[in-house]
Amino acid sequence: MAEIVFAAGAPHAPGLIGLLEAAPPDVKDVVATTYRSLAEAIAKAKAEVLIVFANDHLANSRVRAYPDFLIGMAAEHRGPYEWFKPWIGCEDYTVKGAPEIAAALFDGMTKRGIRMFAQNENLKFDDNISVPVLLTNIAGSGIPMIPVLQNCTVPPIPDQCRCYEVGTALGDFIRDDLPADMRVALLGSGGLSHEPGGARYYFIDEEFDRWFLDLVASGDHERLLRELTLEKMEAAGSGGTAELLAWVVVLGAIGSRPGKSFGYTVHKDFKCGVGGVLWDMNANMRQQRAAV
Amino acid sequence: MGLEKFKPSLATHDLIQDLKWSPELRTEFAEQESVVLDRYPLAEDERKAIETRNFLALYDMGLHPYLGGQFARLIFGNEAGKGATVAVNKLVESLQGKGPVA
Repeated sequence: MAEIVFAAGAPHAPGLIGLLEAAPPDVKDVVATTYRSLAEAIAKAKAEVLIVFANDHLANSRVRAYPDFLIGMAAEHRGPYEWFKPWIGCEDYTVKGAPEIAAALFDGMTKRGIRMFAQNENLKFDDNISVPVLLTNIAGSGIPMIPVLQNCTVPPIPDQCRCYEVGTALGDFIRDDLPADMRVALLGSGGLSHEPGGARYYFIDEEFDRWFLDLVASGDHERLLRELTLEKMEAAGSGGTAELLAWVVVLGAIGSRPGKSFGYTVHKDFKCGVGGVLWDMNANMRQQRAAV
Repeated sequence: MGLEKFKPSLATHDLIQDLKWSPELRTEFAEQESVVLDRYPLAEDERKAIETRNFLALYDMGLHPYLGGQFARLIFGNEAGKGATVAVNKLVESLQGKGPVA
């Protein structure tokens, strides 16, 4: 039985790279602490593969043929895609892929009734994969990655309940289909509140962000599924905030566990609230509750 | 203004995706925009909205906001902290009521 040894959620706002240098010191501190902590946790977990769920941002498919989940099966993942380079302001990177595990993921999710699509060719990555790869040193760590780009913005959007179901199936796949003792890391890439392309492009909903970070760190998934509706995320930033659904997939896979946040910050130029959560994969909520 | 007006079949969506995916098409669009626009089945008011950089009108027709933001960057600039900032400000100006921002 394979094991999930790392699980986290973190934003991927492009400004975290291209605009970080000009940000105030307190903002830089939160960004540096968050991603350094996640990088250290990934390294410490000694994971053999990292599966990253992230908003596709309409980067790979036309609106008319838009997959809800698209698995990258390439042997190497190269990014960022040409047009996004100046926008993100980041260096090129290459991350080792895991084609056999990616194929098993495709088969395993299909077997569990989850419609995913998969592509052998290199996917087009924007900030969705590029920012976490660079800020958590995935390229340098040598850990193979499987990107899964998901539909967080093209209606009809798989909602929080559906994404949690996908995550539950993902957890079953990891535990039951992957080789025994394989160590797997999961990252939900996206958020926090933002409205890319909207009339409120500079809007950041600090109250929503702090509520969300507290909620996902609490481990209360019943409340999460009840309250983290598409309507609530749209109100906190249309077309952007709902990429927190990538975190929901990860939460479905790991089940109810407490998490740790590394602080929260807002910076107008990022056009996005910033804060990450690392979930405690050694915690057993059932035992903790029984002990109370 | 969110996704409530989204019209997935809007032809402008394909134009933006193609521009994003092809450096050659971007060059052609910059040099001969009308020739590029001729290749897409744009409604008359849709084409006029593109030509006048009227993002507000395009959103009212059903343009997806995420692609709208990218279209602004394709037109006004795509560099972090430079052209992209101009693009965001132009887009917001249009969407908040100004309409055409050519």
